[in-house]
Order: sequence, then C-alpha cells, then structure tokens
Amino acid sequence: MKKSRPAVMKAAAVVGVAALGLGACGSSKSSNTGSSATTASGGGGSSTSAVKIGFFGALSGANAALGINILNGEKLAISQYMAGHPKVAVTVDSFDSQGDPSQANNGAQKLIGDKVVAVVGPAFSGESKAANPYFAQAGIPHITASATNVALAQSGDKFFYRGLADDSAQGPGDANYLVKTLGAKTIAVIDDKSSYGQGLADYVRSQIKTDGATDVVDDHVDPNGQDYSSTVNKIVAAKPAAVFYGGYYDAAGRLIKQLKDKGYTGAFMSGDGSEDPHFITDAGATAAEGAYLSCACEDTSAAPSAATFNTAYQAAYGTPPAIYSGEGYDVTNFLLAAIKAGNTTPSAINNYLKTNSWTGITKTLKFQSDGDLVGGTVYVYQVKNGKITQIGTTPS
Amino acid sequence: MLLEVDDVHVFYGAVEALKGISLQVAKGEIVALIGANGAGKTTTLKMISGVRPVKTGKVRFDGQDITHMPGHKRVDLGLCQAPEGRGIFPGMTVVENLEMGAFNRKGSLTEDFDRVYDLFPRLAERRKQVGGTMSGGEQQMLAIGRALMARPEVLLLDEPSMGLAPKLVSQIFSIIRQINAQGTTVLLVEQNAVQALTLAHRAYVLEIGKIVRSAPAADLLADDSVRAAYLGGDLGASA
Amino acid sequence: MHLHSFVTQFWPSTVDGVTLGSIYALFALGYTLVYGVLKLINFAHSEVFMVGTMSAMWIMHFLNISAIQSGFALVGALLLAALFSMGGSAATALALERVAYRPLRRRGASRLAALISAIGASFVLQQVFEVYYSNQYSNFPRLFKHSTLFNIGSAQITTDRVLIVVAAVVMMVALERTVALTKLGRGIRAVAQDPETATLMGVNIDRTIMYTFLLGGIMAGVAAVLWNVRFEQTRFDIGFLPGIKAFTAAVLGGIGNIRGALLGGLIIGLLELYGASVFGSQWRDTTVFVVLVLVLLFRPSGLLGESLARARA
Ligand SMILES: Nc1ncnc2c1ncn2[C@@H]1O[C@H](COP(=O)(O)OP(=O)(O)OP(=O)(O)O)[C@@H](O)[C@H]1O
Ligand SMILES: [Mg+2]
Repeated sequence: MKKSRPAVMKAAAVVGVAALGLGACGSSKSSNTGSSATTASGGGGSSTSAVKIGFFGALSGANAALGINILNGEKLAISQYMAGHPKVAVTVDSFDSQGDPSQANNGAQKLIGDKVVAVVGPAFSGESKAANPYFAQAGIPHITASATNVALAQSGDKFFYRGLADDSAQGPGDANYLVKTLGAKTIAVIDDKSSYGQGLADYVRSQIKTDGATDVVDDHVDPNGQDYSSTVNKIVAAKPAAVFYGGYYDAAGRLIKQLKDKGYTGAFMSGDGSEDPHFITDAGATAAEGAYLSCACEDTSAAPSAATFNTAYQAAYGTPPAIYSGEGYDVTNFLLAAIKAGNTTPSAINNYLKTNSWTGITKTLKFQSDGDLVGGTVYVYQVKNGKITQIGTTPS
Repeated sequence: MLLEVDDVHVFYGAVEALKGISLQVAKGEIVALIGANGAGKTTTLKMISGVRPVKTGKVRFDGQDITHMPGHKRVDLGLCQAPEGRGIFPGMTVVENLEMGAFNRKGSLTEDFDRVYDLFPRLAERRKQVGGTMSGGEQQMLAIGRALMARPEVLLLDEPSMGLAPKLVSQIFSIIRQINAQGTTVLLVEQNAVQALTLAHRAYVLEIGKIVRSAPAADLLADDSVRAAYLGGDLGASA
Repeated sequence: MHLHSFVTQFWPSTVDGVTLGSIYALFALGYTLVYGVLKLINFAHSEVFMVGTMSAMWIMHFLNISAIQSGFALVGALLLAALFSMGGSAATALALERVAYRPLRRRGASRLAALISAIGASFVLQQVFEVYYSNQYSNFPRLFKHSTLFNIGSAQITTDRVLIVVAAVVMMVALERTVALTKLGRGIRAVAQDPETATLMGVNIDRTIMYTFLLGGIMAGVAAVLWNVRFEQTRFDIGFLPGIKAFTAAVLGGIGNIRGALLGGLIIGLLELYGASVFGSQWRDTTVFVVLVLVLLFRPSGLLGESLARARA
C-alpha cells in the first residue's frame, strides 16, 4: 500500500476492516445466537439486530486521500448490503487517525470501546504496527486494504488479515520486471531509509542479483530534503540501465526530476508509495513521463469485473474510484459475507475469514494462517501522457 | 536656563538611584557634578540623554519638556554625551566613529573634521585605525571629538579624565576649556574633583542619589567639608 | 568510504555544493544580522524564507506563468518572482519583529522569552500555510531551459546554476557594501557594537532593528526565489531543513559576521555534497554537523569570529 507521507508516517498501511455481511453471495441466514456484540438495530427495514464495522485510517491531514478512498469503498459495500434489507443491520464506525502512529492507541481504544465486530484498517503500516496489538488482544478481526509492510503478518496476530500482496511480493516482482521485462542489467537502487522504502528496496536489491543483474549504485535520500544532487551524481556517473526508488511520491518526484535534469535517460521505477498523481506534479510531466510504478492494488477502472462497482462508486461520490477503493470495497464485502452467514461476533467472523474465501472485484480473497493473502498479484503502472496507467503485472 | 532637571527620580528595578535631583545649566557655563562612586552621576547624565527613563520629575531643554523624548531625538536638539568608559565603537575606524557623532546631521562635515583634528592632532594621524585597537587616551580623545561632531549645544562629559596619565588629563581639561570658549555649554562629571572644580563655573555635589550642595565651583574648592569628603586624595595634586 | 566516488564526482559535487551553499549563505544573513544586532537567534527566519518561496510561486500561478519564457517575458517573470519573494519575506520579517520581538524587548524580557516567541511564531506561520494554503508541494514553473553553458571536468555548468551563484554573490556584495558604507549600515553596526552609545549618537534603535530585519528578510527572499529556481517546489515546511543549514552556516562562519555567512554557507554546501560522495548520501547532514562541532571546538566563535561587533562588518 501506499505509505503515507514521508515525514509523518513511515510505513503506513490501511487496513480495511472487514465489513460484515456478504454482499453478493449466499442467502442470508438469520443472525446467529448469542451475538453479544451486536447492538439493537436502529437500522434498516427488516433487520433484527445491528453491528458496527470499524474503519481506521487517515481522513484528514496530509494523507487523507488514501483513507477516504478506502472508507468510500467500505461505505459503498455496506450501503449496497443494507439496500437488501438484511436481518443484521451494519453501520460504519470510523476513526480518523490522520495517519499518525501516535494516534493508534486512541483509535484502537475507541473502536474497541464502541464494540465493533471487525475493523477495516489500519490503513498505513506504521499505525498498524501500533494499533494491531490492541485489536489482537481484544479479539477483533482487522483487515487492512492497504498496509503492505511484511512484518505485520509476522507478529502472531491471529486477527490480522491483509487484502493485498505485501512488500515481499512487490519488491521481487519489481526487480523481475526491471530485469526480465525491461532487460536492465545494471540497476541503481535508492531508498528513503523508511521502514517501507528501505524494506521494499532491499527486496529489489536481492532479487535483481538472483535475476543476474548488478546493483551498481546503492544510496539513500532524505525524504524531507530537496537536494538529491549527490545521489543523482552517483547515478549519472554509473550510467545504470534503470533506477529503482523505494519511498514515497514526493521524494520520487524530486529524484526523477533531478535525474532527468542531469541527462539521465534510463528507466525509472518506484513502488506503490509513489503511485499517486502527485508524483507527476512533483516531478513535472516531462520528467515523470515513462516512469514505471508498481502496486499490489489494482486499477479497477481497467477491470471488466469492476464495471458495476465503478459506476456505483462514481454515482455515490461523484469521482471515479481511486487507489485502494476497490480493495476497501472487497475486504468489506468479505466481512459482510461473514455477517450474512450468521456470524455477528468478532470471534465468529474471525473463524469465517480463516475458513472461507471471497471473490471480489480486485481478486479472490483467501488468507493464509498468518493473515496474508494466498497468491497476490503486483500490478505495473506507467506514466503515459501524464496519467498513471496500468500496463500489466510483474513476471514471477 | 538651557537645561533644567526638576525633582527627577530614577529607578533600577526597585532600587532608587536618583531620589529627586534638581539642577540647572545655563548657556555658556561649565557645570561640574561631583560625588563618590555610586552616587548617581552617570545615572544623571544618562537620564538627561534619555537612555534611563524618568519615573517622576521633569527634564527641560531650552524651555521644551523632553522628559519622555526618546534619547536619539535629544541629539538632534543639541544634547550630546561622551559616555563613561568612552563608548568607542570598537569595530569602526576613527573616521567612522567620528561620523557616528554626526549621525543625524546633513551637509558637509569637513569643517567639523578639521575642528576635531585640530583639537586632537593624534586622531588625524590615525584616521583609518580601528577604534578597538586605540589606546585609552586616544579613545578618550575620540569620544570627545565624536561628541563635538554633533555640534552640541550642551556637551555631557562623563569622567573624561578616567584612566589617563596626568599630562593627558590636563591636556583634556584645557581642550574642554577651549570647547567651552568656542560656545559649547558643558556638564562635566568627574572623579578628579579638584581639576573639575578648577575648570567649572558652578558645581553640584551628589550623595547617594541626592544633591547635597550646589555652589560656585571656587566656593566648593575652598570649602573644608567638601575638601575632606571629595578632594582629600587629590589635594596635593591640585596644589 | 568511497574515495573513488569522491574523485569521480568531485566536479559535479563542487558545482552542486557551491549552488546550494550560495543559497544557504543568503539565507544565513538574516540569522547573522539579527544576531549581530539583538544577540538573539531569530528562529522564525526559516518561515521568512518559506513565505518568500510561497509568494514567488503564488504570483507565477496567479499570472498563469507555467512555461518557458524568453526575452523580456523571461526577465519580467524572474524579476516579478524575485520582487514577490523579497516582498513576502521582508513583510514577514517586519511583522515578526513587530509582533514577536518588539513587545518583548519593550518589556525587557529575557532572550529565552524571545526565543520561545520566535519558535511559536514559526509554528503559527507554518500551520497557517498548511491549513489555509496546502499541505502538498506546489510547483514553481521552469521559466528558462536549464541548458549547459560549459563543462568543468565532468560537471555541466547550466544556466540555472550560473544565475543562482551570480545572483547570490551580487546580493551578498551589495549587502556587505551597504553595511560597510551607508549611514544605515553604520547605524546597524553601531547598534550591534554598543546600543546605548548608538542612542547617544542619535541612532533610532527601534528603526535600526526594523531595517535589520528588513535586510535579512530581503536576503532570505532572494534566497527563496533562487531556491524556487533550483528545486521548483515549495511547501509550508520548506524552510525547516535549509533553515537549520543556514543557521549552521552562520555559526560556522562566525555568527554576526557577514563574510562569515558567505564562507559558512559555501563550506556547508560543499561539505554536504563531498560528505555524501564519500560516505553515502545518508551521511550528508552528519558530515556537516561533525565538521561544525570540530570547528567550534577549536574556534568557538566560528571561522571568522563573531563580528558586526568586532571586526568591520
Ligand atoms: N544598570 C544598573 N542596574 C542596577 N543598578 C545600577 C545600574 N546602573 C547603576 N546602578 C546603581 O545606581 C547607583 C548609581 O550608579 P551610577 O553609575 O550613576 O554612579 P556614579 O556616580 O556614576 O558612580 P561612579 O563614580 O563609580 O561612576 C549605584 O548604586 C549603582 O550600583
Ligand atoms: Mg559613573
């Protein structure tokens, strides 16, 4: 996922909380027994009880766009579910973390106190690291739609789920793309020393060696700095066929711009942290043109399976779905499927997530025991005519 | 009266340094202000120059109330001071220091430079020397010369003889007499009381923030109690 | 350690270091002038710079100037950007003096109080721009092609670098001459050296302090527009890092010393680039501060000494 802005958050990942309830599939059963967590419904039509699905992510501050995209996906899924007058009403309970890990404790306590049955989020890796232990302790399943830091799945958290591929899939995928698809034999790998950026870059560094290419420059930039000329000088002197940058879009924009200014003509690739229109505005359209960006997220506007979603989203929010909207929608629908199947307690939903799968618009969600996705595609995008356009997937 | 100070009180925090001072200086006079260390002489001059605020009381210059006029504006009226410790700008040359004396004046300064160099030929030799590297005596000449550059009506001198060799002291005093003869009124603070009283027309004696005597200088010079209190150490020298 | 890359990148590093250093030097003048006169660190000076970058960027956006210009249009656009930048910075510096410093000075508050006041003002300015303008970077247009004029070793000397260095040097010399030769400059030096005696000479201290902030603001404004030309983007917190570097440059050269600011700025710009080529870019700031500490150990008042007061400005 995207990480949040450099300064504020390092690894940010939005976790989509799984919304309860099945949207599309199976017939709804009546709510199950003893759902102490459910509250009396104030909700729609025929429902006999109600539950809340939390949202945890930035809705204000520098990184608000990502959180809003995910929350919109979540809300759309829930409103579609509620339109079917289900037995169990579902409402959204959102917490605006501003992407700030120091808010994580507050956010987790609020959602736990509100007795949510599951959480979509936290959105960023940094805040996930801080908040996940609280959700794990409270036994509340939490699905991120965007946090890609590998370690999040390695803490023994039995309630953690991730609705997209993690950085360990993205980094090697990017390396494979550079070496196998683009044919680059000499590559400069630069990062911002953040846990996300350096983590991703390290995967690239090791995979390009496996693939038979050479890492000719290894350097780190200050994501808050402006002058990248020392790094640029190294790259220009080494003349690599490609540059990979692990970090976020604003520093990526500066790096590519300063590279092009000094006459660099090779390929440029960066990860999901840079997959944002600001990458183009920060770099300038000329410098950004042709740059490759990767993301475990899918551009749903290109996916035939998402046509209905795209239309509904546009109608609901007046804008087309943007990054992570589709993932937010999918993880919420998985949760709604669990609720529809009669699971209205956190533990029942958790069991449901572990044993079932859900075919959404971006992918089929099926989780391994550590909460990571089974499979997981990394998509490659390219800046074409000033637009970030999905062009394919990374080779394995 | 050119300069009138009327029952002025000045405080440093809670400490009252001037406890109701009144004094007058008439045009053309040399008036001396003598007193022990810490009596408030410097404070009096600073108050007159406007760099120490007056708590109560009045200061008048040429009939105009200047009690609360900012210090830099009093220079334009013609009140100029060569402060205690000389206040030479250490990073400026002799010429620049002299120019500082004429800071707010417009027009040519040639005449004024000539006059100062005439009074202090030493300064003329050292125009380009930086103030901070001048000797104490040279700095004192520069301080007086600089005050003259403002063409003051009243020249306030705070211990112009401090730290100078006896020969230089008498030279400075004769220059003060000369300046006065050229029409500048002088209010002089001195430790060197005998010479000050010899030079001055009138004098005030200051004791812990209060004026205790005011008389023609010659009378004070002849007064036994004053001699005992302020002139003791200097008797021999003055003889 | 990569001595090899130091050698191969020597000329590009030098050119980039001098470019960056000239901007730091101009920026540092504000710290140094205010310190010289008031003996306090104007911590909000980084926001004086930030407002300059914002003002220059704003007028370009406002007039819809977004592409390469030539001839009179180019000169006009650059001058306009510079004017707005200097105006924005100068106005900010004056407002700071009025609002954050003068009231405290009037009441005889401690330097610590002034420092806190400056830090507060700095936060306020940043947050005002963050909330009311944008928390994202805004771009400054490229007004002319950054084409290569000639090469020194492997370094390309481009038009933008030449503009930046020449403009910075011209402004530094102009300021140095102003302080050394004009009445205003004498007043500033007098207040720096002995404020009370300066008053006795007829210097209006309040006004002189105001002019000092004004000059520092104008210099920061020029630094800001040159920064825009070099990096072409700005944001509410843009002043922070270069502010720290510029302050360091002032201390390294000898705070209060105008020539020291120039020397310090250039040394810091070069150290950053050389340090990055030898140790890796992640060590560029560390290199700067290690050298600063070493210099201060041996020359506590900086390379050229704390001036305005001591030597000739
Ligand atoms: N800035 C100050 N803060 C506090 N007290 C002060 C200050 N300046 C002077 N004083 C006090 O005010 C009193 C008068 O001081 P002032 O300097 O006027 O004495 P003076 O007569 O000039 O002495 P001297 O002959 O030693 O120069 C002294 O008690 C002195 O300690
Ligand atoms: Mg005294």
